[in-house]
Amino acid sequence: MKGRHYDLAVIGGGIHGGSVALFAARGGMDVILLERGALAREASGSNAGTLTMQMTRAALIPYALKAHEMWVKAPDWLGHDVGVVACDGLSLAFTEAEERLLTERAEARSAAGAPIRLVTPDEARGIEPGIGPGVRMASHCPIDGYANAYLTGLAYRRALREAGVRIREYTPVTGVRDAAGGFEINTASETIHAAQVVFTGGVWIEPMLAWLGVHLPIRTLVNQLSVTERMAPVMRTVLGIASGLLSLKQFPHGTVVIGGGWQGEGTRETGRHVTTHDSTVGNARLAVHALPALANGRIVRSWTGFEAETADALPAVGPVPGHPGAWVSGSVHSGYTSAPYIGRCLAQAILGAEPEMPLFPIDRLLPDAPDPRNGPLP
Amino acid sequence: MRTAFDLVVVGAGPAGGEAAIAAARAGLATCLVDEGPAPGGQVWRAPRTASARGSGPDADRRGGDDLRARLAASGATILQGAQVWDARPGFTLSIVGPDGASLLSAPRVVLATGATEHVAPFPGWTVPGVFGLAAATTLMKSQGTLPGRRIAVAGQGPLLVAVASKAIALGLRPVVVIDRNGIRDWSRAAPGFARDPAAMARGLGWIGRLAAARVPYRARSEIVGVDGTDTVRGIVVRPLDGGAERRFDVDTLYVGDGLAPADELLRLLGAAQESDPLQGPRAVCDADRRSSVPGLYVAGDGAGIRGAQSAAAAGRIAGLAAARDHGALTDPAFDAASRAPRRKLWRLARFADASCRLMRMPEASLDRIADQTILCRCEDVTAGEFRAAIADGARDLGQAKHFTRLGMGPCQGRMCLHAAAHLMRRETGALGDLRPTPRAPVRPVELGALIGTYDYDDIPVPKAAPL
Ligand SMILES: Cc1cc2nc3c(=O)[nH]c(=O)nc-3n(C[C@H](O)[C@H](O)[C@H](O)COP(=O)(O)OP(=O)(O)OC[C@H]3O[C@@H](n4cnc5c(N)ncnc54)[C@H](O)[C@@H]3O)c2cc1C
Ligand SMILES: Cc1cc2nc3c(=O)[nH]c(=O)nc-3n(C[C@H](O)[C@H](O)[C@H](O)COP(=O)(O)OP(=O)(O)OC[C@H]3O[C@@H](n4cnc5c(N)ncnc54)[C@H](O)[C@@H]3O)c2cc1C
Repeated sequence: MKGRHYDLAVIGGGIHGGSVALFAARGGMDVILLERGALAREASGSNAGTLTMQMTRAALIPYALKAHEMWVKAPDWLGHDVGVVACDGLSLAFTEAEERLLTERAEARSAAGAPIRLVTPDEARGIEPGIGPGVRMASHCPIDGYANAYLTGLAYRRALREAGVRIREYTPVTGVRDAAGGFEINTASETIHAAQVVFTGGVWIEPMLAWLGVHLPIRTLVNQLSVTERMAPVMRTVLGIASGLLSLKQFPHGTVVIGGGWQGEGTRETGRHVTTHDSTVGNARLAVHALPALANGRIVRSWTGFEAETADALPAVGPVPGHPGAWVSGSVHSGYTSAPYIGRCLAQAILGAEPEMPLFPIDRLLPDAPDPRNGPLP
Repeated sequence: MRTAFDLVVVGAGPAGGEAAIAAARAGLATCLVDEGPAPGGQVWRAPRTASARGSGPDADRRGGDDLRARLAASGATILQGAQVWDARPGFTLSIVGPDGASLLSAPRVVLATGATEHVAPFPGWTVPGVFGLAAATTLMKSQGTLPGRRIAVAGQGPLLVAVASKAIALGLRPVVVIDRNGIRDWSRAAPGFARDPAAMARGLGWIGRLAAARVPYRARSEIVGVDGTDTVRGIVVRPLDGGAERRFDVDTLYVGDGLAPADELLRLLGAAQESDPLQGPRAVCDADRRSSVPGLYVAGDGAGIRGAQSAAAAGRIAGLAAARDHGALTDPAFDAASRAPRRKLWRLARFADASCRLMRMPEASLDRIADQTILCRCEDVTAGEFRAAIADGARDLGQAKHFTRLGMGPCQGRMCLHAAAHLMRRETGALGDLRPTPRAPVRPVELGALIGTYDYDDIPVPKAAPL
């Protein structure tokens, strides 16, 4: 069956696919977005929504700062609400080892442009009165905040529709091939042609790139989160600890989301993922240690999601080598935060312009490339 | 305390109690876990106050006392005040109780988690002063009292009559009883009820008491609204087939529209269910109560609504089957011991069907839910907002939850998801269960209880994320 021809096919409807589709369409392209399920139901709809600099990799700080600015102004460019709140961020140290970690990380992140400053326990308590008694040091960043990630799908669906993107939900792509004038994209019911294609499949970019014979190893993390029922106000910041293994925030309706990258169990192949007892209890202990008032809260739900990680834990965003017109975008650490900005940069490249900030080409991660951990960053 | 058992039974109602007794007697190291203060479950709930104890033993109390005595002698380990909040096949069960969080493990588990009550939403069902029928039975059994001075009792099925009649016994004559069923529906149920003569006699006694007290009875009627926002000042009632509305001055309303299996752990463990018009989402199981998950047995209302007597019989079969599969009972011994409960289950099948038919979710009333009516009471989501989410493309309740917060509150969707699923199937033509992915904890868990006592240094904080 002969299908329609598009300028760009985006495969995977998470926040990365949604963002690049949106900006490419706004740039004048005829775009189709293909999603196996519904928009933003994997990582992009189930993440903690933290828009923080203090958990972001130093190399990504410039992107995250730009993206933070975009998130705060979401009504201007997205046009729909994802419940963004901008607030202070605090990262705490409870041990000597954590003090060292905090100092080192605060320095690296401020060198990269994040306005992070070390503060005393008393200063920290002035910013967030409810923190636990054992705090030895904290780092403060006035640029922090959070979004309500579960609203992502609804907001992007509306924005994408308005931008004229053709949205195909419940349409798994089964294969992509190079073809005359671009690519041939197969689904169970039809074949679609597009001049260019972007793979934005989250942890599934590895099997997606394999369609073109490119092997990009992606590790699957199973992050878990818990949320409390509504509580009277117990905090006003985004709160973490030096190692990055805690994130706390209270949403305006009163629920507190508890996260920090504690691991559940699951595999990309089955698509199933579950919390573990030890991670739920461990994460809860850390949370109550940081913010004792949480002891009175009740967890109403814990859940998990897949996060992608490359060998050097830096993004896979750029052209697919050997297949002109094919692109990939994913595996971005704190990837919810940075997605709108990275999507905009990638769309610029796809539209043939120079991206505002450099992409993260994947050549370094392919089997023949030198070990990325030994070389300089792109 | 010991944490590894041959069998863990979740829920100490008639089903779980009998399962634990049967397995422990056969020699299995058995642990019975229940969140309540004493075994008995819903129908055989133990009294907690002097006034409840003083009210004199009825059939339910006698059933409970008998179960509690036999459990105490059975040799099973009994954990009361302990919630199972998570479960993994194999099996490990996450518990939270008076001593914090812990794990129980066993190669076999019987789930006997009972039922949850439905209410078909109507304007004002969330006003303080509106209670469930099931909640009323809980209060009467454990406390021996019922709030309210001028009460109305509404809904359908045996619980409706039981609550109205027991309220009279407590000196609280209902202003009106509103029944979705009519005399015809009840007469049609009579042959089924006759299968359990004792229960039938009890039911006739309830009806006799209502008649003697001349309680006004509105057959084939439903509540169209509550008058009042902070307290109940009255209710408006309408016959199902149209006709004039009528207002009653009441300060408290008891209303219930049937039961649904409390199937959270069952779903979490991935056991298969099939939809059943009478029993609700029913666990797929064989005649010995083995579910689709190896080592997992199901009994009682949690596996499909069948009532207390059937629950006890199914529980006994499940406990015996676990013992047999464990090698503690020979096939002939298993066959002999399970013959009586099997016969009882068979005899009660029509009784259970008759009760369930009277309690069936009133789908026609659900279809009529007005846009302004609240569907999810925890998060104040109206039927109109839910319908807007469907218009926005939501095709299952996980997505509708994202769009509206429906089901995200402390009841975890127990109150609203069945009604919401019905509306969604109706409006989108979607098939199947539609409920969101089951998640732990299956009940809200207090963080203070979950964390127990610990040192900061003992928290197994993973390796720091890369910089
Ligand atoms: C629990 C958790 C908490 C997190 N917390 C934060 C946080 O607080 N802050 C932050 O910045 N980041 C956070 N992250 C990371 C962030 O969520 C991810 O980096 C980001 O959402 C990834 O977006 P994505 O679009 O690349 O992937 P996804 O959202 O996973 O989207 C990929 C999409 O591709 C689709 N797909 C796969 N295969 C096919 C196919 N064959 N055909 C069609 N479609 C297909 C999938 O269905 C999916 O919708 C968290 C992640 C998790 C899991
Ligand atoms: C609130 C309520 C009141 C009822 N009152 C009556 C009545 O008065 N008369 C009548 O004939 N029928 C009544 N019913 C119907 C009744 O449920 C059944 O007929 C009968 O009790 C079913 O027995 P069971 O063993 O299946 O479940 P139940 O008797 O409900 O026992 C299940 C037990 O499991 C416990 N449990 C469930 N999940 C967990 C968990 N995760 N962790 C720990 N414990 C758990 C529950 O607390 C409960 O004690 C009532 C139902 C409800 C929901």
